[in-house]
Amino acid sequence: MSRIVRGHRHTAVSNVRRGETLSAWLMLLPFLIFFALFVIYPLVQNFIYSLTNYNFGPKHDFVGLKNYIQLFSDEWFLASLKNTVVYAFFSVIFLTGLGLVISVMLNKRSRMVKAARTVLILPYATSMVAVSMVWLFLLDPTTGYINKLLIELGVSTLPTWLNDPELALPSLIFINIWKNLGYCMIIYLSGLQNIPTELYEAAEVDGASTLRRHISITLPQIAPVTFFVLITNCIEAFKTFEQVQIMTQGGPMTSTTTVVLQIYRRAFEDFRMGYASAIAVVLFGIIFIMTVINLLLFKRRSEDK
Amino acid sequence: MKKSLHILGKVLSWLLIALIVAAILFPFAVMFFFSLKTMSEIRSPDPSLLPDVAAWENYKIALQTGSWGQYFFNSTFVTVIVVVISLIINSMSGYVFARLNFRFKNFLFVLILAGMMIPPQVTMIPVVSLIRSVPLAGGNDILGQGGSGLINTYSGLIIPFIAGSFGVFLCRQYFVSFPRELDDAALIDGCGRFRTFISIYLPLGKPVLASLAVLKFAGTWNEYTWPLVITQGDAMKTVQIALTNFRNESEIRWNLLMAATLMVSAVVCLVFIFAQKHFVNGILTGSIKG
Repeated sequence: MSRIVRGHRHTAVSNVRRGETLSAWLMLLPFLIFFALFVIYPLVQNFIYSLTNYNFGPKHDFVGLKNYIQLFSDEWFLASLKNTVVYAFFSVIFLTGLGLVISVMLNKRSRMVKAARTVLILPYATSMVAVSMVWLFLLDPTTGYINKLLIELGVSTLPTWLNDPELALPSLIFINIWKNLGYCMIIYLSGLQNIPTELYEAAEVDGASTLRRHISITLPQIAPVTFFVLITNCIEAFKTFEQVQIMTQGGPMTSTTTVVLQIYRRAFEDFRMGYASAIAVVLFGIIFIMTVINLLLFKRRSEDK
Repeated sequence: MKKSLHILGKVLSWLLIALIVAAILFPFAVMFFFSLKTMSEIRSPDPSLLPDVAAWENYKIALQTGSWGQYFFNSTFVTVIVVVISLIINSMSGYVFARLNFRFKNFLFVLILAGMMIPPQVTMIPVVSLIRSVPLAGGNDILGQGGSGLINTYSGLIIPFIAGSFGVFLCRQYFVSFPRELDDAALIDGCGRFRTFISIYLPLGKPVLASLAVLKFAGTWNEYTWPLVITQGDAMKTVQIALTNFRNESEIRWNLLMAATLMVSAVVCLVFIFAQKHFVNGILTGSIKG
């Protein structure tokens, strides 16, 4: 008798299990189809394309590592890599540093502070196209508003901003900082709010000054968040495309061309998809390494806790 | 002495905040005021920010430069479809990963986390070629050859936006914090998994669905690269692509460009200001991934 009951219960449990597996797969199916077809498969296919001379035509041949070898002598690609690294480096330094300073100052409860925060996030909610258009106008050498103000201030040799190979990239970096400061602030503020207030209270009892408190409490406590902000901004900076495509088209000369701009140009203007895929693989490699570093440090951080 | 130093520090930090707020607002102010100027005012060396007479008709002229009705329709249509489909399939998958057990669950979840880190710029070429070779679409044969597939169609514009795995992760993180007793109670009442999801998780998950909706809305409306690659000609242009029409004129009519830019951005800025909490929560949950 007891055996029968146990057997019965066993089938009931496995029926529930089977039902669970079935519902799980059925509910996942719609998403999985899109995800497999348009995220996972293209990543694999991109590697394969990078070893061919694919050009959207019906046939393509395997060319081995030829595309990759060609990268080393492609001065456009090398310039784009250099520009992207410079762009990422300076964007990240200012975004992480300035972002932290501002967040510490705005880590208060008052109506003014709340309004200031909203203003700071506004550029982040605006599209990069819109941002580029406004700055294109501000920086225009003849009709632009900034040069008009400079004339008023008595500046005689006016900068030509985006038309100047020396100033074009720094201008783009500045605009990127202007746009993404709000994002850094959101992340930093949530990190700051997680610092136990007892630490500050204890330091205040010890008579530590505000600056002193920030250096010996805020900085070490916020370090993991700082690193997160640093890496995510770096990854974003390596994907820069819209700004360059709209504002400078990569010029003057090679001064503002970026890696993604090169992928776009080779693929959709020259139709050298195979070669462009090789550039995309390099970009993926760089971003992959940064992501892994970020994950490892995140894991260590959560194990410490 | 110490006290006056303290006050000085306070004044300096408020000054810095005021400076940064001004620097952030300045381009927005320029965008607004210059959208109301005439071109002769813009060409003149006069540095005043305010227009002599507000030329509101610039907005009308801007909207008549090209088929803006069509552009706004395209962007709205694509964005609405992306938000609706994403909400449905992402919340469903998020629930599965939060509550159900099945084989390969952990493997799939790692894949979905990894998927969030694959930049669309890297997979752009194969995705375009896939969209081009959808069988029996756009003059293609059964093997996906010969025509243009879903290039320059709404489906082509929409599909890559709903394939991203960010929303699944976002919903999973939220649902996993629900007490398991909810499921047990529902099971005892004879609810299937799908019923449990529909009648318990969805209503209780409103905050995360709002976050996902706001982020997806802003992301799709603001997107430039994908529509640039996938659309041809005027009829399928989204508002972001259409803005660049003004850029390509021989003399840029800045007043019209600023007016159009303002109208295109106002949509997202308004949504963002009214749903700031959801926007921020979404970014934060998404960023915990590390």
